Amino acid sequence: MRVFFALALRYLRGRKLRTVLTTLAIVFGVAVLFGMNSLLPTLLRAFRQSMLAATGKAELVFSSVTEGPFPAERLEAVKRIDGVAEVAGSLWHNVVLPASFPEASAVNALTLVGVEPEVVQRIRQLPVREGRFLSPQDRYAAVVPRSLSEKLGLTIGSTLTLPSAAGTADFRIVGILELSPLPGTEEVYVPLAAAQKVLDLPGQITLIEGVLKPGADRARVEEAALSVLGKGFQAQPPEMGGELLASLRLGEIAFALFGVMALAIGAFIILNTFRTVVVERRHDLGMLRAIGASRRAVAGLILTESLLQGALGTGLGLLGGYGLAWLMLALVAPTMRQFMHIESGSPVVTLPNLITAVVLGMGATLAGGLLPAISAARVAPLEALRPVIAGAYERAARRRGVIGAVLLALAFLSLPAGQFPLAALGTLLFVVGLVLVAPVLVAPLARLFGRIFSALLGREGRLAERNLARQPNRAAVTASAIMIGLAMIVALAGMISSIYDGFMGYIDRSLHTDLLIMPSSLVLGGGNVGAGAEFAQAIREVPGVAGVTTLRLGTAALGNNRLQVVGIDPETYPRLSGLVFSSGEPEEAFAALARERALIVNGIFSAQHRVRVGSILTLLTPEGERAYRVVGVGSDYLNAKLATVYLSQANLQQDFHQTSDLLVLIDVEDRADGSAVREQIEEIVRRYPAFTLLDWGVFRASQEQAFRRSVSLLWVIMLMFALPSLLAMVNTLTINVMERTREIGVLRAVGSTRRQVRRIIRLESLLLSALGTGFGILAGLWLSYFLVTGMNVSGFRTPYYFPYAGLLVAIAVGLLLGVTAAVLPARRAARLDIVSALRYE
Amino acid sequence: MALVQTEDLTKVYGKGDTAVVALERVTMSVEKGEFVAVMGPSGCGKSTLLHLIAGLDRPTEGRVLLDGEDLNRLSDDALTALRRRRIGLVFQFFNLIPVLTALENVALPLLLDGVRPQDARRQAVEWLTRLGLADRLHYRPDQLSGGQQQRVAIARALVAEPDLVLADEPTGNLDSRAGDEIAALLRRIASDWGRTVLLVSHDPRIAAHADRILFLKDGRIVDQARLSGAARQGEAEALHERMQAL
Repeated sequence: MRVFFALALRYLRGRKLRTVLTTLAIVFGVAVLFGMNSLLPTLLRAFRQSMLAATGKAELVFSSVTEGPFPAERLEAVKRIDGVAEVAGSLWHNVVLPASFPEASAVNALTLVGVEPEVVQRIRQLPVREGRFLSPQDRYAAVVPRSLSEKLGLTIGSTLTLPSAAGTADFRIVGILELSPLPGTEEVYVPLAAAQKVLDLPGQITLIEGVLKPGADRARVEEAALSVLGKGFQAQPPEMGGELLASLRLGEIAFALFGVMALAIGAFIILNTFRTVVVERRHDLGMLRAIGASRRAVAGLILTESLLQGALGTGLGLLGGYGLAWLMLALVAPTMRQFMHIESGSPVVTLPNLITAVVLGMGATLAGGLLPAISAARVAPLEALRPVIAGAYERAARRRGVIGAVLLALAFLSLPAGQFPLAALGTLLFVVGLVLVAPVLVAPLARLFGRIFSALLGREGRLAERNLARQPNRAAVTASAIMIGLAMIVALAGMISSIYDGFMGYIDRSLHTDLLIMPSSLVLGGGNVGAGAEFAQAIREVPGVAGVTTLRLGTAALGNNRLQVVGIDPETYPRLSGLVFSSGEPEEAFAALARERALIVNGIFSAQHRVRVGSILTLLTPEGERAYRVVGVGSDYLNAKLATVYLSQANLQQDFHQTSDLLVLIDVEDRADGSAVREQIEEIVRRYPAFTLLDWGVFRASQEQAFRRSVSLLWVIMLMFALPSLLAMVNTLTINVMERTREIGVLRAVGSTRRQVRRIIRLESLLLSALGTGFGILAGLWLSYFLVTGMNVSGFRTPYYFPYAGLLVAIAVGLLLGVTAAVLPARRAARLDIVSALRYE
Repeated sequence: MALVQTEDLTKVYGKGDTAVVALERVTMSVEKGEFVAVMGPSGCGKSTLLHLIAGLDRPTEGRVLLDGEDLNRLSDDALTALRRRRIGLVFQFFNLIPVLTALENVALPLLLDGVRPQDARRQAVEWLTRLGLADRLHYRPDQLSGGQQQRVAIARALVAEPDLVLADEPTGNLDSRAGDEIAALLRRIASDWGRTVLLVSHDPRIAAHADRILFLKDGRIVDQARLSGAARQGEAEALHERMQAL
């Protein structure tokens, strides 16, 4: 109805400040939701496109499902397939440059590609810009892309030093390629034999590429190739950079969550505002009913008004979100261009994303406006003619309070069960229960806090307390909005402190040797170049060394999932280091590892695949399917976050062809001269620049510091959670002031000073935030306990630690909210003109 | 023929010990085109009577017949539609929508009834002009004097061409000059435009404009008086005395 549309618009315009405050919450939520959802797909798309371009001319690409190495002889079978014109094998390996390398300052990782010089040019397009391509006579020669040559200052004839299994290897640059098509890392092309030597993978390749004879059927050839290659091979180009993709997706989820939370608070704000609007306009609404507006029409008026705000907020939020995405893209573009050769373009606005943002934005408004609209429809026409009587309000609140209390009790019952789905249900019950109980608790809690305040500031404290208790519903809804924000802070803090303690516990138990020799990247599968067995052997022979054990790495597949396989020495590993077992007998487990095809699986793996001690797992290895028996569930520090299985190094060599060491753990004899031993080991490590020798204490401290650093970003995000809560408070306080304009006029008329009025509003604000903080801490503690339970269930074993830091931050943020939210409303109240305030309606 | 008829109309507020009888078995009628005033001290039940006739409230006992139709039998929606089309209401506190202009306030009942906006506007302008507000069409209520606001409210009550205009202390919030103007206007509504008017007031000077006066006390009709055109101005004093005597 057009008349209601016009009417709604007028009402909104009549209360500009309130309209702005209410709308802002929606703007904020929609902007975050929409902006991040437009930004991340852009990054993903750019990333994928440049990855697809990387396959160049190759029509056929085969790799092992695990993307690990396999014997080059497999190539021959593919070559013989009818319709195949040419095939070539290549060896791809990510290489992290150790920080000690001069090159590492410009480039920290590159991809070493071993190719057969005589055939690769017929299969892939590698246009040479300067010099020549590799020839079959070359041994340690390399061609590099132009971008890399510019970054490292390489010219034809200069030398590129790379870490290798035997220490280092020098490559002479013979050619420079036009460009590097692969994102993320620079490709360095070297002869296959040299790559195999550098990586200690004799006779191994990771990729078969080929071209078809003219007219051959691609699908048929692919099928035939896969059947001769046997199980464990795939035809698609391997998706590189999976880790980056995964963390981008994680970011997407995190921001979506944040946007939804901001919108939930927005819904609370709308609810509060319109609840006030209905009370304030009882007169008008009654009159409309009296002159013939139906109940539906009156409800429609309130809904129209809230939807207008929703539409405005959503519209502005979409614009703001696009701006946000554009800005962030502009910020990351130079980095992406330099390090990943990705042109990111502009934010992508997809229809589903647009629809999601609009639906959620409008939905939040509608949800917030619905209850007030219903109560508006209940306004009797006679109320236009009579003064407002506060009536059945309290009874309804008490009934809701009882329901809330029952929900809370149920939630507590679900607590000791320790089961994830039940705990999730319990959390939901807890939050809903708290929201329902809140209005009933407002009066007694306000009295409690009020007593503290009035002890400090007599009269004003009591007035502020009464004012809050007068509108328990509004105070409760505001407190609920604050609760959401602060609960997230406490919960995150609780989770962080538990993860922190969990991780440190892992370090102390699984990596506790006197000395550690670490690879360039701490994540084992992160592109490290291993060292041959002679490296560890040399260290073993140093006098004063009590024991040495090493970690090796392979990749297997289980079903369609890739799986990290860590090779340990079942005899020395438990003596020097160890795993944190959650199931199985350690001694027996390690003995079984030495005896047979046995596995110890880590917590995450066992949770993801529901594997127990005694299960038989069929792993897809480069040698085909192999059955392994699970003998224990245990985790170590390095792999606590990744699904990992541990097996003996003998089995790793036999089934996965991996023999290089990635991590060396050393214990020094008690009586030996520590520094002398260390010096001798240092001598050996110097020949292997990919590795760094560390004291355990130094290592632990550096890990602790890294953890703290990555967590500091989380604290920033946590503080962002408080922003929507601030809006909710300013909104409520402004409403309180506007509604009491006449009263404030009376107060001033009978002699209150401006300062006293200001103080009343400030105290109200502090009381409100104290309430919200109290609720927030309760809900946050619950939530953090729930999250930690969830982590335990999903395999990351960590005890629950009480988030003291989170509590302090929540209280500080709550106090800050209380002080800042009052600034504007208090000033507004103090500046009211007495005469016009007395006339205010 | 009677437009409004009440039969044993009774309204009790509250229950048990706290029950208050606002109206007790009131039977009365108002003829078509008649201007009737209900007088009585405050708390005598005048407003309650008006609200029951307007269908704003339901009686505890008895019934209201409007043009022979029993209001008790109508649903809330039907009552709403009735108020929209057949009854015009004028209140003591004007009750205009503060964010709408005079013109928009007057057009509102028509728009609520689904009349096309341009027609609603035309009719609203017509009535406002008739009531001498042609130069105030686009003023908001807070920009108008009390008397002007009440004239806008009267235009709103008349715009849907209702049979019955109900006015609840329409001059209670006005100074005496503006009050006289409004009373004269109500007189014209009955005489010139042929509407039936039921006025509730405690002010004899205003009630003196009516054709007939009903005296209400403690929820019952205790007396009535018929006034003839010429004698009206002199009647105010006499009415005042009769009020005092109640």
